[in-house]
Formats: sequence, structure tokens, C-alpha cells
Amino acid sequence: MSSQLGQLRLISSVALRNLWLDRFRTTIIGALIAFGAFLAVIGLSLLNDVRASMRASITQSVAGDLQIYSANAKDSLTLFGGGGFMGRADIGNLPDFAPYRDEILRHPNVAAFVPMGLDMAVLARGNELDDSLDALRSAIKGKDSAIIAGRVEQVRFQLEQVGLELTARRQLSADQAELEQQERDLKVAAAPEFLQDVSKIGEEKLQFLETRIAPLSGEKLPTYIQYFGTDIAAYLANFPKFHLIEGTLLGPGERGIMLSRKVRDEQLKNSVAKIFDKIHKRLTKRNQSIAGDDECRRFASDLKKQYQQILSYLDRADAEELSRKLTDLGIAAVGGDELVQRLSHQLTMFLTVDDSNFEQRYSWFYANIAPKIRLYEVSPGQTITVRSYTRSGYIKTLPLKVYGIYNFDGLEDSDLAGVLSIMDLVSFRELYGQMTEASRRELDVMRAQVGIKDVSAENAETDLFGSERPATTVAANDKKEAAEPLSVKPRLADQFDPQEVQRGLALNAAIKLKDSGKEERTQQELLAALENRGLKANIVGWQKASGIVGQLVNIVGGTLLFALAIIFLVAFVIVNNSIIVGTLNRTREIGTMRAIGAQRSFIVNLFLAETGITGFFGAISGTALAVLVIILAGRLGIPAGNDIVTFIFSGPRLYPRVHWTVVTTAPILITIVATLASVYAARHAAKIQPADATQEKE
Amino acid sequence: MTAVVRISSVEKIYPLGKTQVHALSGIDMDIQEGEFTTIAGPSGCGKSTLLNLIGCMDVPTSGEVYIEGLPIAKLSDRELTKLRLEKLGFIFQSFNLIPVLTVFQNVEFPLLLQGRFSRAERQQKVTALLAEVDLTAQQGQRSSELSGGQRQRVAIARALVTGPRIVLADEPTANLDSATGERIIELMKTINRTHKTTFIFSTHDPQVMRQAGRIIRLKDGKVVTGQDS
Ligand SMILES: Nc1ncnc2c1ncn2[C@@H]1O[C@H](COP(=O)(O)OP(=O)(O)OP(=O)(O)O)[C@@H](O)[C@H]1O
Ligand SMILES: [Mg+2]
Repeated sequence: MSSQLGQLRLISSVALRNLWLDRFRTTIIGALIAFGAFLAVIGLSLLNDVRASMRASITQSVAGDLQIYSANAKDSLTLFGGGGFMGRADIGNLPDFAPYRDEILRHPNVAAFVPMGLDMAVLARGNELDDSLDALRSAIKGKDSAIIAGRVEQVRFQLEQVGLELTARRQLSADQAELEQQERDLKVAAAPEFLQDVSKIGEEKLQFLETRIAPLSGEKLPTYIQYFGTDIAAYLANFPKFHLIEGTLLGPGERGIMLSRKVRDEQLKNSVAKIFDKIHKRLTKRNQSIAGDDECRRFASDLKKQYQQILSYLDRADAEELSRKLTDLGIAAVGGDELVQRLSHQLTMFLTVDDSNFEQRYSWFYANIAPKIRLYEVSPGQTITVRSYTRSGYIKTLPLKVYGIYNFDGLEDSDLAGVLSIMDLVSFRELYGQMTEASRRELDVMRAQVGIKDVSAENAETDLFGSERPATTVAANDKKEAAEPLSVKPRLADQFDPQEVQRGLALNAAIKLKDSGKEERTQQELLAALENRGLKANIVGWQKASGIVGQLVNIVGGTLLFALAIIFLVAFVIVNNSIIVGTLNRTREIGTMRAIGAQRSFIVNLFLAETGITGFFGAISGTALAVLVIILAGRLGIPAGNDIVTFIFSGPRLYPRVHWTVVTTAPILITIVATLASVYAARHAAKIQPADATQEKE
Repeated sequence: MTAVVRISSVEKIYPLGKTQVHALSGIDMDIQEGEFTTIAGPSGCGKSTLLNLIGCMDVPTSGEVYIEGLPIAKLSDRELTKLRLEKLGFIFQSFNLIPVLTVFQNVEFPLLLQGRFSRAERQQKVTALLAEVDLTAQQGQRSSELSGGQRQRVAIARALVTGPRIVLADEPTANLDSATGERIIELMKTINRTHKTTFIFSTHDPQVMRQAGRIIRLKDGKVVTGQDS
């Protein structure tokens, strides 16, 4: 017993003395192991931080800890960037979520149940003339003649521009007859007497302008918006990453939408401003230059062509003023008296940017031009028109009031998660294609008109929700008589009874847990509890439900572990080699020990002890250094640098924390790994023969 | 009385490139307990090879070596190591102390390898031997601080501390001046008398040879004459 201890003491004292004698080599190996430990502790701690912050971003924005959806789903639920038909996964629906909710809320670990429905639709977009006509229409309603006159002036100014566009198109167009008709229409509209007498601008004239003239100015590309409908009050109470930037919150019982900031910035912002922003971002955040970066050069050459995007929002007075200001800026007006031509030229010059003038033009634009134009197509308070294809092939068009613009904190720049908009559940249901009493009556009327008879309301409902029929527009088009899908314009009130979102249809629901550590157990227990009640459903964890966004955590972790593995492999080889080289100097000593009776195992243990001790102290000091760095970084925060890292950090800065499990296990593991790394070298040393004791040194 | 070492038609062949070196060819001899034997002969005659075989550091190519009647040719490395630890003591030409250990620790080393003595027992054995080789004052020093003669006395103490039946010494005086060498042989002889330990050592030095009780002369791997004193 005590002699075993004696041998152990012997080994450790010989090992320590050898390490001291060979302190240069010991220091190198120790430093290498310390470096490995440092990287491992930093890496694993950051991984834990990133995992935690991404988890928070995802679970506290949309996902919750668990998601429940129909057992009849054809696709699996993907909250961010889901696939399926037209980007819409078919996850079925829960015709009434109330029994599910009641059962789930009974579980002691469940904190909340928030019904949801995820879908996408087209945002109808007019052009600038449409916008001006809308403004004129509401001015006429307001009956203030000064305002009306201003609006008329703006419309006239835009008609001039449409005229120029048509002339330009003349050279390209093949259909001369159509073009002549368009020119005749425009002539009527642009004639001075057409909009002369403010009191005589009636519905007829407005409709003429809207239907015959506005389309000449070109349609904007339709924009898809992804959104989810939810019980807004429950949602806001449970998802703290929701962050309102502009406008107001959607209140209980109010019908409307809150748009994602990213979508609005990227798709609904004036394109001049958008290009300015993009270049500015590349110059400031990525330290690029316009001359030296292909992307910037492409943006810059796009920018020059966008003067129309400024011009078409101006009325004559604004245009005159802008022309004067540009002249003051040093961009002279050439091209005669014609204002549109003169300003077009000046704006083109203004929008021709390079590295020397960009910052000046950028701020000048926001100071002098932005206030005069509509920076965003959509702003809080406005009503937008959303068009959706229901699962059974109907087009539903729904006006929705925009209440606010919002972000998910930490996901603001995510292409997948940052683009979701949020609406109330009642509007969602309408766009999804659920029949309300009002729209059902309307559908009956329309069916009668197109000659479909004997369709009871009940059958219509089955058609809409039944899965027997392929629920696509293609299916509808198969029937010749229904070549055009029915367009149903529902008349929904702006308010609804908040009780309506306490039950009824939802596609999925987020389940928030009290202790999210018990995610898997709770998931199993909830499934069992539902089963007991005869309720079937799919329940998945947040990471699975968030699709590729949730997987990113694993990808980041995998990459990090891979990098660590490579570093350790290199360290492994270096430690191994340096020990083998070390044994060469010690052949006589080892031979002597073997000659006077030391077993091979004694030599192996001696070597393992040497690297074990080096490894232990190396790992401890590397870990200590890492802890210091983490504490320091936790104070200052690590800046994200670019979008991808911002997303991974779930914010502009990551504040790392010291993770005690990492700090305690990493040095132990690294010591073990370092010791194992020397097994080969130790066995190599143990092969030295006793007769080598007499080998002459040097 | 059985021989403590018996060598029976031992051959040792070393491969050397494509050829072979017959280091020992057909050796037969018995060494009795308590003998003070020297192996003599010109350089390359096979003295070290023979001592290595007796010292269980190597096995013969053919023939057999018996240590206290036990044949060693078929023993494993483990068993040979155990035999060296328990029955044999070694003294080297270059002393071969463990440089990182003190005088005391060097002498204690084989006892720790044996692992059956308490701290007090070890203390007592080591102290007694250090007194016997007259190094009590130096027991805390490192070997690098000692003279050649002192080092070899430490080596003798280390070789004797386990109470071996046989002590082997390959040219123990070759690295010492003749006066010191003589005193080392003197010391070995004293121990041979008092402890009844069998000593087998090799040497070139005729002065040293004269001290031996028995001289075995080798030439080209063969015993020339077995001259008893
Ligand atoms: N490991 C070995 N490999 C090959 N040949 C060897 C080896 N050891 C010894 N020899 C050869 O065997 C012969 C005997 O060598 P040995 O060392 O036993 O002689 P020695 O009598 O001890 O000589 P010296 O007085 O020089 O120490 C020599 O020719 C030597 O070259
Ligand atoms: Mg020799």
C-alpha cells in the first residue's frame, strides 16, 4: 500500500525533476497545451453564448419552446423559410384550437399557448401615379380646395412625365395601334380643361385616370409578404423579442397588420434611398470603396438611372426648388427651359457618385430630397391591400391597416426570420380561406353569377377545407368554365370581438414553457395527454420548428468543433514528436532504470506523468487566461462586424459569459487528451533496452 | 553445492548488416556463491556480452544461462526485469546514476521499484549502506556534485541495497584513476567478504585482475583458461 504510494511519489518526483531539467521543452509543450485550452474554453463558451442568444431570439420571437400543429400535416412545420407550394408548406390546420389549448395549459410546465397561422400573400402595389390619384381622391373627399389644387398640380406634373415616357417607348413598341390609343387617352387627360375646374373632378374622371392612364406608368413588381396571424394580446405578452419601431401596436379586437422593418426597408423603400443605403452600408461597415468593389460599382451605376424615382413624387413647385438647390450645390442646369428635362439631367448628375462625393451626396439626399418624396411606399396609418390564393384556388383580396413597423431583436437582419409580418388572427383566417358568414353569402352570389348552381354553403366549406381535392389554383384552371379563379372581396369590419381569437381555426400554436430545460420531457407528456383525450397533433421543439435558422446553431457549433479538432490534432502531433525527440537524450537514463529492474510500465507511467503534469498546468493556465479574456469581453462586448455575425450573435454585440461547466471540464479533458497524446511516445520510450544503459553518451 | 551462475554451451550472435558477429561461441562455466571473479581479455573478446547475459539484460542465441538454477532463455521481458530487480545488482563503467535524483534517492530507487518496504525500512537500509560506502555526508547531494569515485560508491550502494545474490560490474574502474579504482575494488572485496555476495566484473587492468579470486580469460568469444587463484 504505502509502497504503491512510494512508487507514485517516485514517478512524480522523477517526472517533475525531468520537466524542470528540460524546462525549455516543458515550456513549449505547456504553452501549446495552454493555447489549445485557451481556444477550447473561448470557443466552447462563445458557442454556449451564441446558442443561448440564438435560442432566445428564436423562442422569444415566434417559436416558443414547442410548436404544435395538425397531425394531418403533409409537410413539417417550418416557421422560417418554409417550403412547399409557392413557398407555402402544407401543415394542415387545427379547425378549433381551444380543446388543444385547454389540455396543454393543464400541464404544470406550460406557461402559455399562443395560436398562430403562418402564410404568405401578395402585397398589391400601385405606381406613383396611383399614389397621387389616391391622394387626390382623399383630398376631394376633404373638400379643401387649396389641397385639391396642390394634388391636381402633382397629377398634372406626373402626366407630363408619362407623356415623355410614352414618347420614349414609341421607338421600342411594336403594337402601334395600342400605342396610338394610349396617346389619345393621355391627350385627353393632359388637356388643360380636363382637370381645370376642381368642382367637376368626379368619379368618372378619377376612374379614367386610374384605369387608362395610371397603368401607362408601369406596374411595380408584386411583393410577397410572409406573415403570421395570431392572438395579438397573447403574442405580445409572451414574445419579448418583438420590438415596435414605428407606429402603434395592434390592439385586441383590431384588424390590421404590423410590417417587418426589413421587408419595408428592402422592398417598400424608395429605390434611390435604398441604393444610397446599400452603398453607404458597404462603404462604412465593410470598408469597401466604390472604385474597388464590383457590388458598389453596380449599385452606383443603378443609382444614376433612378432619377425618375425622385421626379415622380414632386409637384412643380418642389421640382423648381430642387432644381435651384442643385444649381446652388454646383450642379448646373442645362437643357433649356423645360423643367422636367432640366431636373432629370441635374438629378442624373447628382446621382452619379464616386468615392470622393458619396458621403456628401448621401447626406444631402436625406437632408433635402427625402423629405419631399415618399420614402416608404407603406407607413403606419395607411391601408394596404393583400391578395392571397386560398388553398382551394380562390383569390382573396383584403384591405389591412398598417399599425406599426417592428423588428425581432436579434433577428433583424435574418433573411428568413426577419421578414415575417404579423396580423390579427381574424384577418389571417380570411386570407387563409375560412368562410365567414358574410363572405359565404357573397360567394354564393358570385357562384350564381358564373353559373355554378346547387352549391350549398356546407359544400363550399368542404371544398375549401377538404383534402380530397388538390388545393391549388392549377386545379381550378383545369376546369374550362372556371378558367379565372373567383375573386372574393370580403367585407370585414375593422374591429372584431376579441373572443373570436380565443377559439377557432389556427394552423399551429407556440407553447411556452416555465422550465425550458425540460423541453423534451414536456413534449412527450403533452403528446400523451392529448392522446388520452383523443386529440392528435404534432409537437416539435423550437429548433426543429425554426428550420434552417435553428440548424444554424448546429452548423456554427459543428464548424467550431471541427476547427478545435484540427487544432488538437496538430497539437497532438507536436506533443508526440517532441516527446519522442526528448527520449533520444534520455536513452541511457531509461536503459539504466530498466537494467536495475524498472518494468516497461514504469517507464510508460513516468512519461505519461510528465505530459500529464505539463498538460494539467498548461490547461489550467490557458483556461485561466481564457476566463480573464471572457470577463473582459463580457464587459466590452464583441462587435458583430457584418450581417451574418450579427445574426449569429443575435444582436450587434455579443457579451460573453463565463460558463463554469466549460471552465471546469475543459482543463480536465485537455489534460486527459494531452496525456493520451503521449501514450505512443511513452511506449516508444519503454522499448529502450536495459543494455542501452551502457551506451556511451555523446 | 550448485553454482549460483551456470553457463552452458552459450552462443551469442549479433547481426551486423548482412553478416553476423559471433560475440560468444560455446561458453561453459560455473560460478559459485561468494566468488570474486573477473572476466578478462582484449577489447572485443565478448566480456560485456557475457556480463549482459549473466545480468539477464539479454538472452543467448543458443545454450542456456542458469541463475540460481533458473534457466533464463525462455523468460519474458517482464520476468527478466523482475529477476534483475530481485537477484542482481549492477555497477556500470560510467556509474549511471539517475541525474535528477539525490544520492539518497538513487540508492532508494530499487527499493521503491520492489515496492515492499515501508518508508522506515527503506530509510534504515539506505542509511546503513551509505554509511558502509562512507557517503552519509553526501546523501542530500546530486550526483553531478560528486567526484567519480564517490559516484561509483553510490552505484555500489544502489547495487547492494536490495541484497542481491550476484553483483555484476562491467569495467567498474575504467573511468577512474588507478588509486580510486583500487579503493573501489577494495570496497567491493570487503563487501564480498562481509555480505557473501558473488561479484563478477570485467577489466582490462592487470592491477585490478590481481585482486580477483578467479580470472576467466576470454579470446574471440571463447574461454581461454580458467585459472583459479
Ligand atoms: N549490439 C551489438 N550488435 C552487434 N555487434 C555487437 C553488439 N555488441 C557487441 N558486439 C560485437 O560483439 C563482439 C564482442 O563485443 P563485447 O562488447 O562483448 O566485447 P568486450 O570484450 O566487452 O570489448 P571491450 O573491452 O571493448 O568492452 C565485438 O566484436 C562487438 O563488436
Ligand atoms: Mg565491454
